[in-house]
Amino acid sequence: MKEVTDSTFLEEINGTGAPVVVDFWAPWCGPCKMISPIMEELDSEIGSKVKFVKVNVDESPQVAQKYRIASIPTIMVFKNGVPVDSLIGFRPKQALKEVIERHI
Amino acid sequence: MDNRYDIAIIGSGPAGISAAINAKIRNKKIILFGSKDLSAKLIKAPKINNYLGFYNVTGEELKNQFQRHMDSMGIEIVNERINNVYAMGDYFTLMVNEKMYEATTVILATGVEYTKPLSGEEKFLGRGVGYCATCDAPLYKGKIVTIVGYNKEAEEDANYVSELAAKVYYVPMYKGEYNLRSEIQILQDKPVEIQGDNFVSKLILKENEVDTDGVFVLKDSVPPAQLVPGLEIEEGHIKVDRLMKTNIPGCFAAGDCIGKPYQYIKAAGEGQIAALSAVSYLDS
Ligand SMILES: Cc1cc2nc3c(=O)[nH]c(=O)nc-3n(C[C@H](O)[C@H](O)[C@H](O)COP(=O)(O)OP(=O)(O)OC[C@H]3O[C@@H](n4cnc5c(N)ncnc54)[C@H](O)[C@@H]3O)c2cc1C
Repeated sequence: MKEVTDSTFLEEINGTGAPVVVDFWAPWCGPCKMISPIMEELDSEIGSKVKFVKVNVDESPQVAQKYRIASIPTIMVFKNGVPVDSLIGFRPKQALKEVIERHI
Repeated sequence: MDNRYDIAIIGSGPAGISAAINAKIRNKKIILFGSKDLSAKLIKAPKINNYLGFYNVTGEELKNQFQRHMDSMGIEIVNERINNVYAMGDYFTLMVNEKMYEATTVILATGVEYTKPLSGEEKFLGRGVGYCATCDAPLYKGKIVTIVGYNKEAEEDANYVSELAAKVYYVPMYKGEYNLRSEIQILQDKPVEIQGDNFVSKLILKENEVDTDGVFVLKDSVPPAQLVPGLEIEEGHIKVDRLMKTNIPGCFAAGDCIGKPYQYIKAAGEGQIAALSAVSYLDS
């Protein structure tokens, strides 16, 4: 999964008509470590229809502030540059997949 | 992974023990988490007259019988509290602080949680309300944080958060000496409601009212939905079907945590069903 930052975020989420899933994470967050292999799996399963990226909230505080990330992991789904869904906290793979697939 | 268990059972009351016994009879590799006393609710009972085969026993006596049963089958209790269970897809990761266990299936037999959530707690979860102060503290850098602490361990978290936050309030829900850094403001008051618009902005207490960006609620026992993120709850209990299946494949539940009546033999019966369901899940 591609790591995006404060400076590349907008261009990454605006680019395609396809939904963009953003995983907000940080290295000190345990549940983030658990969700990250699941996101990678989803990327390889449905990555042709959905774009997956991640944002390190420590390194990109502006994006985290803008979308008011108050708890991580937070998974946000963007469509045409606008957030359409967000999931706060760890979720099982199936639950993540169902939510993401709603936007395809 | 060769140290992955077939079945991890969380809770050592009658539901968990009965699950362990039945899973062991079916030759599964199990791990049982709980306490050495088995269950506080077992040793507290003065007289029990409704457990088939054991007329007029005390809770202590019934506990000893359960212990003897486990001993003769070589079942041991791992005296650890599970903080989180993560459904990874085809297995589960169980966290005890920094330590991890892996299991293909999980049986939840945690009993019931009696402390009610604060008003607004569930509404603002993830939008200012959190349960892991050390996890989310860096997001509150330079902001105001209030910690509602139900035990002494919460003090450590408060101290850590106060190194990052602009201001920390501590609301102790127990009596005693508080080992807190001097810049933390203690509020000896009863929390009533968490308020805000889209995000938390205020904590209302009985006699005070504080502006705050975040509220962390740090309790002894974790409610099931927090223990297992993504678990479906119905009217305060874990939702299961007749086979004790939850909404998460491979995760089963039994005992008081799935609903009333709260009784020993019901818990034991459900523990058995859960174990057999886990066995058929493993064998399929
Ligand atoms: C005073 C009293 C008298 C009672 N008398 C009777 C009676 O006469 N007859 C009757 O049928 N019922 C009686 N009950 C009710 C009975 O105690 C419960 O229905 C029964 O204990 C439920 O069993 P359980 O296995 O579901 O949960 P519990 O017995 O509550 O056991 C749950 C266990 O899980 C552990 N646990 C929880 N979370 C975790 C975690 N995250 N990690 C590790 N371990 C965890 C707990 O520490 C506990 O040991 C009585 C209850 C009380 C309080």
